[in-house]
Amino acid sequence: MTRSRKLLDLALPALAVGLLLGLWMLVYQAKPDIMPTPLAVGKRLWDITIHPISKAILPVHILVSLGRVLGAFALASLFGVTFGILLGWYETFHHIAWPVFEIIRPIPPIAWIPLIILWCGIGETSKIVIVFIGAVVPIVLNTFAGIRQVNPMLIKAARSVGASDRAIMLEAVLPDSLPSIVAGMKTALSTGWMCVLAAEMVVARQGVGFLIIRGMDNGDSALILAGMVVIGVVSALITAALNYLEVKLCPWKETQR
Amino acid sequence: MGNQAKVKVRNLTKKFGDMTVLDNISFDIQRGEFICIVGPTGCGKTTFLNLLVKLLEPTSGNIFIDGEEANPKKHNLSFVFQEPSAFPWLTVEQNIRFGLETKKRSRMENDNTTEYILEMLGLKECRDKYPHELSTSTEQRIVIGRSFAVRPDLLLMDEPYGQMDLKLRYYLEDEVIRLQKATKSTVIFITHNIEEAVYLADRCLILSQKPTTVKEEVGIHLPHPRDVSSKEFIQLREYITEQIKWW
Repeated sequence: MTRSRKLLDLALPALAVGLLLGLWMLVYQAKPDIMPTPLAVGKRLWDITIHPISKAILPVHILVSLGRVLGAFALASLFGVTFGILLGWYETFHHIAWPVFEIIRPIPPIAWIPLIILWCGIGETSKIVIVFIGAVVPIVLNTFAGIRQVNPMLIKAARSVGASDRAIMLEAVLPDSLPSIVAGMKTALSTGWMCVLAAEMVVARQGVGFLIIRGMDNGDSALILAGMVVIGVVSALITAALNYLEVKLCPWKETQR
Repeated sequence: MGNQAKVKVRNLTKKFGDMTVLDNISFDIQRGEFICIVGPTGCGKTTFLNLLVKLLEPTSGNIFIDGEEANPKKHNLSFVFQEPSAFPWLTVEQNIRFGLETKKRSRMENDNTTEYILEMLGLKECRDKYPHELSTSTEQRIVIGRSFAVRPDLLLMDEPYGQMDLKLRYYLEDEVIRLQKATKSTVIFITHNIEEAVYLADRCLILSQKPTTVKEEVGIHLPHPRDVSSKEFIQLREYITEQIKWW
């Protein structure tokens, strides 16, 4: 029973990927001039892994994009968690900052690109700022929600055994909001990855977004699809890493899942 | 300690706007005494407890511990609430340690106390478990352990067993008496269950309806463990019930 279940658990994902490839082949049959085969894309991936495009091989392009995302993500986490705590904990701050945040929040990060390029030029700064804008919003929102939903009983419990205000914040409020904050960070990283590709598609000399645009400029659909596959795989790896990190950061949630 | 009371409550009054909830309450508690407070529903028992641990400020009057004005930063006050309040992100052992570590005592003392409490409560096997992996009653026992661990000057318990069934209550009541005697803690225990009050208390304070005052104090001088079917026990229980009924 358990063995056949295990087999099924392995077979179903394989079947799903197989179906996706089958669908891909169907599109290829219909439009072979604009849709390369999965094999051709695989070959192109290998090709760009050993032969540089714009002076960089594929791993470098990935690292360049990841570096931008992680740099901006670190800044967004620092700022977003602090801002979210202030919004959630201090009523006056909430009254002042919330309306401003509510006006800026719905503007898609991509809408900022032209302005950011005008302000910061086409260097690294503009890309980091765009990713920052995309990543900071979910972090602020989730931190804010986490702080607002802290169980008041736990604050009382901490206070009743003599915890100071600082200890209450660090040892009761923050741990109780941590799962929500981590969930915000997970969303932020995937949003950040989206934003960096958008930024790189507009202007960049390296990065995964750049590869896709280069493919489009050269009519190289295998390169475009190779870039897209890389995006998918890297995103999946990021998500897996974050899930792992979440278990490490919030071990008491592990068995609740 | 002679006749020096551990806790003195003097003329304690609390008003919310025009409504007087507590009216001029005064009483003493001796060191190591177990006091049960009983009263009709909605008589302001919880307000009273919140005042005692300074989660609320009184309108007038004061609480003295060892002759000094009660101050949670200085005195060792501890509170067990009706709803279990174990920290979900801490293991059983870390929960027990939580209060100890805010008190900044020596590490060895904290280790010894933690072991002692885990042993007393029979929680050694599940010391590394998280509260959600355990039953609600176990979670409440963790909180009780956490509160006794800090060796409080005054421990306040607000119907901690309100959500438990009868059998479990007896078991936990015996356990709390054991802990209290072993740690020589001074306890104020709020309950609306008169049998529970007579089972636990050295003395019962009967509160009146709002504006609340102490209507009567009843000393309960029966040896532990108490026999709930004994004549004296039933007499006391019925007497206190009458006092709550008649206004």
